[in-house]
Amino acid sequence: MSSETSGVGVGADDAEMKRGPLGRWVDKAIKNPDRVYRAMFYVATVFFLVTTLFPFYWLLVLALTPNRLITNMGLLPKGFQPEVFITMFERVPFHLFMFNSFVLGISTTVIVLLIASLAGYVFGRLRFPGKSILMLGILAISYFPPAAFLIPLFELFTGNTALSIGAVTISSPDLFNTPAPMVLPFSALFLPLSIFILTTFYGQIPDGLEDAARVEGTTRLGALFRVIVPLSAPGVATAGVLTFIAVYNEFFFSFLMNNGEASSWAPIVAGILKYQGQFDTPFNLMAAASIVGVLPVAVLVIIAQERIVSGLTAGALKE
Amino acid sequence: MATEQQSGEAVSDSRRTGPYASAVNWMETLSETQFAYLLLAPALILLGVIAVYPLVQTFSMSLFADQLTGSARLGEFVGLQNYIDLFTGARDFALPSAFLPTFTTQFPFVTDIYSSALMVTLIFTLFSVLFETLIGFGQALILDQDFRGRRWVRVAIIIPWAVPIVIQGMIFFLMFQPNIGFLIGTSDNPALLNQLGLIGTTPLRDTADALFLIIVADVWKTSAFMALLILAGMQSIDRSLYDVAKVAGASRWQQFKLITFPLILPTVLVAMLFRTIDAMRVYGIIETMAGCQTVPSLSCLVVTTFNAPLYGTSATVAFVTAGIIAVVVSVYIVNFASEGI
Repeated sequence: MSSETSGVGVGADDAEMKRGPLGRWVDKAIKNPDRVYRAMFYVATVFFLVTTLFPFYWLLVLALTPNRLITNMGLLPKGFQPEVFITMFERVPFHLFMFNSFVLGISTTVIVLLIASLAGYVFGRLRFPGKSILMLGILAISYFPPAAFLIPLFELFTGNTALSIGAVTISSPDLFNTPAPMVLPFSALFLPLSIFILTTFYGQIPDGLEDAARVEGTTRLGALFRVIVPLSAPGVATAGVLTFIAVYNEFFFSFLMNNGEASSWAPIVAGILKYQGQFDTPFNLMAAASIVGVLPVAVLVIIAQERIVSGLTAGALKE
Repeated sequence: MATEQQSGEAVSDSRRTGPYASAVNWMETLSETQFAYLLLAPALILLGVIAVYPLVQTFSMSLFADQLTGSARLGEFVGLQNYIDLFTGARDFALPSAFLPTFTTQFPFVTDIYSSALMVTLIFTLFSVLFETLIGFGQALILDQDFRGRRWVRVAIIIPWAVPIVIQGMIFFLMFQPNIGFLIGTSDNPALLNQLGLIGTTPLRDTADALFLIIVADVWKTSAFMALLILAGMQSIDRSLYDVAKVAGASRWQQFKLITFPLILPTVLVAMLFRTIDAMRVYGIIETMAGCQTVPSLSCLVVTTFNAPLYGTSATVAFVTAGIIAVVVSVYIVNFASEGI
């Protein structure tokens, strides 16, 4: 209580006060509201960090604890069993499911970037009748729930849709258990976001650069792929990262458009759900697989956070 | 197509031959409108085959009866009978969960809300969007400050957004398993949340408890998305407004109330629109955490009837779901328009 003189930036009338540390803090806070804001800021930051990160810590606790000991868990692991990260691959070929997820993610990203580059160029740089209606239409399609597409797409990809042209009937090829029934819906589903991101970026390139390239004798497509796309590399990277993450995270078609086997291109959705055994529930393996499954996107977020933030912003504020 | 003959005139590429060069030359002769539609063709074809065609097909399937036996997928043409049955409750016997709740004459006029797919979806949407907006707002206010380690705080806040839905479901499944953690115990050995009386000891098997936990899981994952959008709105505010406010002696609260809030409101509404649409499609988190029998959302109902297989009913529910989303979207848009944003 003898530290009356230690007040930082507080008036001299403070010197007569004789209170506890809390009382002094409150007193200073009343004189200087910024202290309250700073305290609120720290409390809120810690709160948000704990709530967002605690579930990951919980996974680690469960993964490291031997399964038979997982009951009445506290905040620390009961035991230390890092072999779980090997056991999980023996129980379920999780690496194959992850490989499938990568293949699906990368092929969707390539398709989306190609198609959205063309569409983004058109919407960002050309003037033509019907432009705003087409953009609204593409936006409206992304509003519809995947459930509304499920049955016809399922029929289409299992070879049950027939198209009759005169006397000839062509039935759709049976593509079930190949990547196509997932890659095509993903591409359609995530195309609008990339179109909007690329429209923004392509629209910002000065016309003079494109004109210069055209005067040099470059074709229209040449100008797009040799001038505009390279200059918009950050936008293309953003669209690519967001598409990949979206595919990696997708559940609906990933779950319903395959038979759940790694050999049928099922992604991590099926891999994670496979741990739920018929005779036991290996909580530690489930937790370990979840950690391994999150790692690729966590790394991507750490590397590309600026891209992700700018992309989400550009995509959503477009409208 | 008619201009195909006029190529050679402008381009030096005309010396080249072969299909590639002639395609390029042909493209040079198109008008801007023709060229625009040519480049849009891949996008329009993809969306046409994967989105527009299935939507039309879903509607036309919803006009046919279910076919339970035989090889045909659909029964006879019944017009709008599927829709009538769905809304009068006449179809509920065939569904895993009712579509509408039971209406009564006493307050609050509905019962059995947790066994109604529509009510479950609406409750989920309302509460998850509400809390995601509030928490996202708080997170955005923090990320808007300048402080050391801001980059890492931002990463920590974004990471849940990037977690795959199936892993998000698994995380919360593991957190709320009875008796494995300190959150949920057994009836003999109640743990923290049971003692508080918030949820029972088998929360993922009880519709109300499971719905509550699914909302918590969704808020955990998606608040970051709201935070990023709101943050973008905050950072586009002209900083000199705050300088003026400080000179004029405005407190922090006044600055927030009179500058920040009105200027980011349009952004917040757009972000809420996106989340509402997304929340109304909820499926994956339910399937992984609690199962569609426990928490029947609209998308769940589509999938379970599709697997039954009741194709006519499933298509009807799917189309109604799309219709409800369209209504929500138009409500927002009308509000936007009336506020002159």
